Amino acid sequence: MNKAKTERYRVRHLMGLGALAGAFTLAATLVFSGVVRDVIGPAYAHKEHHQEDELQIFEEIFMEYVILGDRLFHGDAELEEEMGVNLSDTGMACAMCHPFAKDTNPHEFPKFQEQMGEFSTLAGMTNWCIDNPNQGEEIDVDSEAMKALEAYQYWSHDGSVLNPGVH
Amino acid sequence: MNRKERMEQQRQQERLEEVRDALRKRELLEPGISMPGMSRRTFMHKSLMFAGGVAGLSTANLWLPIINTFDMAFASENAEGGINNFRFAWISDTHLYPEDVNTRFVEKAKRAVDEINALDPPVDFVVMGGDLAQLGDPVELRLGKEIMDELEVDVYYIPGEHDWYLDMGETFVDLFGESPWTFDHKGVRFIGLDTISRAPDYWSVTNMSPEERMGHMAGLDNSVTGPWAGLGRSQRDWLESTLNDWDRDDPVVIFSHNPLYEYYPPWNFWVRDWRETLEILRPFNNVTDFHGHTHQVLYNEIDNIRLIGMLATAWPWPYAPEGVPPMTRPMTRVDPGDHFDGLGWDLMTFQDNRVEHEYMMWRRRDHIFANRPEDNAVTKNPSIKLQPRVADRMWTGRYRGTD
Repeated sequence: MNKAKTERYRVRHLMGLGALAGAFTLAATLVFSGVVRDVIGPAYAHKEHHQEDELQIFEEIFMEYVILGDRLFHGDAELEEEMGVNLSDTGMACAMCHPFAKDTNPHEFPKFQEQMGEFSTLAGMTNWCIDNPNQGEEIDVDSEAMKALEAYQYWSHDGSVLNPGVH
Repeated sequence: MNRKERMEQQRQQERLEEVRDALRKRELLEPGISMPGMSRRTFMHKSLMFAGGVAGLSTANLWLPIINTFDMAFASENAEGGINNFRFAWISDTHLYPEDVNTRFVEKAKRAVDEINALDPPVDFVVMGGDLAQLGDPVELRLGKEIMDELEVDVYYIPGEHDWYLDMGETFVDLFGESPWTFDHKGVRFIGLDTISRAPDYWSVTNMSPEERMGHMAGLDNSVTGPWAGLGRSQRDWLESTLNDWDRDDPVVIFSHNPLYEYYPPWNFWVRDWRETLEILRPFNNVTDFHGHTHQVLYNEIDNIRLIGMLATAWPWPYAPEGVPPMTRPMTRVDPGDHFDGLGWDLMTFQDNRVEHEYMMWRRRDHIFANRPEDNAVTKNPSIKLQPRVADRMWTGRYRGTD
């Protein structure tokens, strides 16, 4: 190998190292400046200690869903219309059989649900109730309405002991 | 639906049938589940023994059933010294919507009426224990009257809160008359109370519309309406004067929409002046209160007074998270896929001054009462904690079907 060729490899090697260092610097800048978190999501979660206002925001978001769920669970027709769901065609609301969400037992899911004849999540059972006793229209399990209904049922049972799978 | 979806649906249906078959077989193989030898009648002493076993009551608390107060309470002779053999029936909590909104509730109310009409020998009369309508709509109340008018015997009505708070009882009183009332029948004094019309005013200060007032009242677990159930001073005075001339050993039967004791105030499973009311009844040795509102099997005794929770025809309530009387033998958990399950009407038989009560529960004639903890919604999961609502004061009061 002659001297000129060796020099070219060295230059290329240095250029490669430089590119790597540049990419690393750019990535670090993006991460630490919050651009990545803002653009592609919370990839930065748990990397810093939480501030009080952050915790308050998390709680507020949760309670917003709980409140929406409470209203849907109790048959708020206007809210159903706003959220584009029809949870009942019989006048029945979830809370008519489940005041305080009693006997929804979210802490027991997932489990084999006898009425459905299958292993079910809480969302699955909620949809079954919408479809059968309420004779409404099932909703997407990932929809905002289902998230709200789940949030309300879980919140109502805050402090209950998890007992998954029990009949 | 494509072929794959049809196959999946068929597979699920087959699986469901398999499960049901297995459950049916298990029930046959394990007769203890179906409670052989126990009728659907309200036998107090057995219920207490059961409650003692389940709730872990100490033996010191179990002396009452051994004496068998069921017999003691009804051992006295009646005023005529003779025999008063007759039956009467109870229907309540039909919660009728207009027929075009909900046909199932109409179907169930009609079924109760048809079954009572088919009794042989017939009952002497029927009591409608309130909540005939769901939202107090005159359309609902008139539909209720039309259905109840099919009964071939006299019907006595007491109001429920669902009948009242749209027009403050105007239509209900117009159709069914005023409460309280009393009449004597074959040596028994019957009294119908109004436990619902004396709610503290929760509507004026916020200028609620009648629909909003009714909407709040129709939600069992809301806190807006406050402790609305009560007799009030004037009605308690009336009750006392009504019983002034009655022999203390002769039977008294009270009908009330709400239970006359403190079961669970957050759902108004009580009347707020229950202590004062029971004080009026305390001198009498043979008193039974039959009440609606709770939509579930309940049994309680306070002093000489028995208090029995009656069935609804519309839908069953779960047991409250606390306060279920230890004397209650809980009903079996219901199947929400069967809209008749856990519901029905009640039949009472008077014989020699003793009143026996039977739950005429659809789908459950042989195993109304829970035996195993897994079938019993009271004891099934003691680790449950519940929170009251968060959004009841944000509630618009407008239900589906009321627009």
